[in-house]
Amino acid sequence: MDFIFQGLAEAFTLLFTGDAETFSAVAATLKVSGLSMAASLTIGIPLGFALGYLQFPGRRQARLVVDTLLSLPTVFIGLLVYSFISRQGPLGDMGLLFTLPGIAIGQTILALPIVIALSATAVESLETGLRTTLLSLGAGRRQLVLSTLWEARHAVLAAALTAYGRVMTEVGISMMVGGNIKWDTRTITTAIALETGRGKFATGMALGLVLLMIAFAVNAGVSFLRRR
Amino acid sequence: MAVYRLENIVHRYGGRPVLSVEDWSVAEGSITGLYGPNGSGKSTLLSLLGFIEQPSAGQIYFKGAKTGPYNGDIRRRVALMPQESYLLKRTVYQNIAYGLRIRGDSSNENKRVRQALSTVGLDADRFSKRRWYELSGGESRRAALAARLVLKPEVLLLDEPTAGVDAASAQMMKKAAADAHLQHGTSIIIASHDMQWLEDICHDIVYMFSGKILGKGGKTFIFGPWEKTGPGLAARRMADGQVFEAQNAPENPAGTAAALEPEDITIHASRKRLPSGKSALKGTLMRLSLEKHSGRVRASVSVGHTEFIVYPDPQTLALHNHQPGASVWVAYHPDRVDWYRVSADQHQAADARHPDRF
Repeated sequence: MDFIFQGLAEAFTLLFTGDAETFSAVAATLKVSGLSMAASLTIGIPLGFALGYLQFPGRRQARLVVDTLLSLPTVFIGLLVYSFISRQGPLGDMGLLFTLPGIAIGQTILALPIVIALSATAVESLETGLRTTLLSLGAGRRQLVLSTLWEARHAVLAAALTAYGRVMTEVGISMMVGGNIKWDTRTITTAIALETGRGKFATGMALGLVLLMIAFAVNAGVSFLRRR
Repeated sequence: MAVYRLENIVHRYGGRPVLSVEDWSVAEGSITGLYGPNGSGKSTLLSLLGFIEQPSAGQIYFKGAKTGPYNGDIRRRVALMPQESYLLKRTVYQNIAYGLRIRGDSSNENKRVRQALSTVGLDADRFSKRRWYELSGGESRRAALAARLVLKPEVLLLDEPTAGVDAASAQMMKKAAADAHLQHGTSIIIASHDMQWLEDICHDIVYMFSGKILGKGGKTFIFGPWEKTGPGLAARRMADGQVFEAQNAPENPAGTAAALEPEDITIHASRKRLPSGKSALKGTLMRLSLEKHSGRVRASVSVGHTEFIVYPDPQTLALHNHQPGASVWVAYHPDRVDWYRVSADQHQAADARHPDRF
């Protein structure tokens, strides 16, 4: 038990003394998750709206595919992205392997089905009278889309949060595509895996705490927004 | 000039016809009532008039201009308040200002929103900042009406605005609608079950049944089941056992309704001295009301749950001292009964030139 408490104590020391290695991993995590969330929300919310709002042939089948992709294992995404961006892969020339943008591509693939599926559900569960209400007040097509999304804002925010939680905590993609390069592509989760393997529980625990704190800060921010 | 003219409108949901209007116009600046049972097509008609939906077939003219799909400019001159008036997940103020903002018309916004709120009897200081879930049913319905009134539409379409709200809220909404008409000349079309209100405010009341406009208000409708009693003769046993007999019945009266014009019905204190050729049924005088626009007194007589509408002349009323609750005889000419086909599935059988009327 002692090593756990020792680990916790060390965690606080690492954090409050501004340990450079720890902060490098934190920065890498924030950068890569920021990139992948920006991409997945930009692509995912419009697609989720279309899937939840529009009636088109093949809608149910599309929904089934998106729901299936919710269970994509991260190592499989890692493998896929790796094979595409490695030297022999079709995108090998772009030099994305072992870079943060490379990891972000994999995490976008991970987050996308979550954003699409949950925002589609958010839009579907709006009251049926909403469209009539917006049209009856004079909304055009653009306003109809924007106001409908705004009405679903709480559930869309929850979709983004769920995706963010998944992206922040995944190891498989970061490890395989990023390569866990110190001072460069080492993220919090790959660092924890490494430190635990090396028997350095304190560093691992410190990094785990940081992860939780980031999650807390994001949730606190969202909760503040939700009250407005 | 007509604010609306409908030509050969048919509207279908999933291939099933729910509304068919051959020819109907609404005068500009008038108040029109739509009266009829649930499912008779009132909401569908309002939704077409509000350009929320496009008719499956036929043409709607708005102030003489043809309307087509997605005509935003025309849609913005009309404001529909749907039956389930849905408030946006925003404050009351933002709900009322929504229509103004999407029109890019934000001049004096605060003043106009406050004015609209006070028109429906909501105190702006108390209600402006409330959220959508902090209102009672009646208050949110009034806020929804204010959101339409603030737009000063040329046409206001109200779909059962007072259904299920408290009496005070209903009263304030009725006054707000009447004020919009008086102050801005707004044409109003109201679907409601509140006949007394419709009689009070409307210039014209139309009766709807099974997706059809069965003519102007004041008609008495007798729905089946009909029994064929001879060639051109049909009979309907009323709930109290009396029999309503009618002539000129279609070959197959199933799915049709018989209609009587009010001038073809008279009321009498006794069965003696009935005009010749008239049949009579005994009923109870339920209500006497004054139609504001025509100045006529309207009498409702219940015969076995069927309401007969009569416009007795004031002298008859005074002479016999008819009071609600009194037993009276309603007399009608069996040969002056009009027949309407009301059930959509039997539409094929109707006369091709006049699909709704025999």
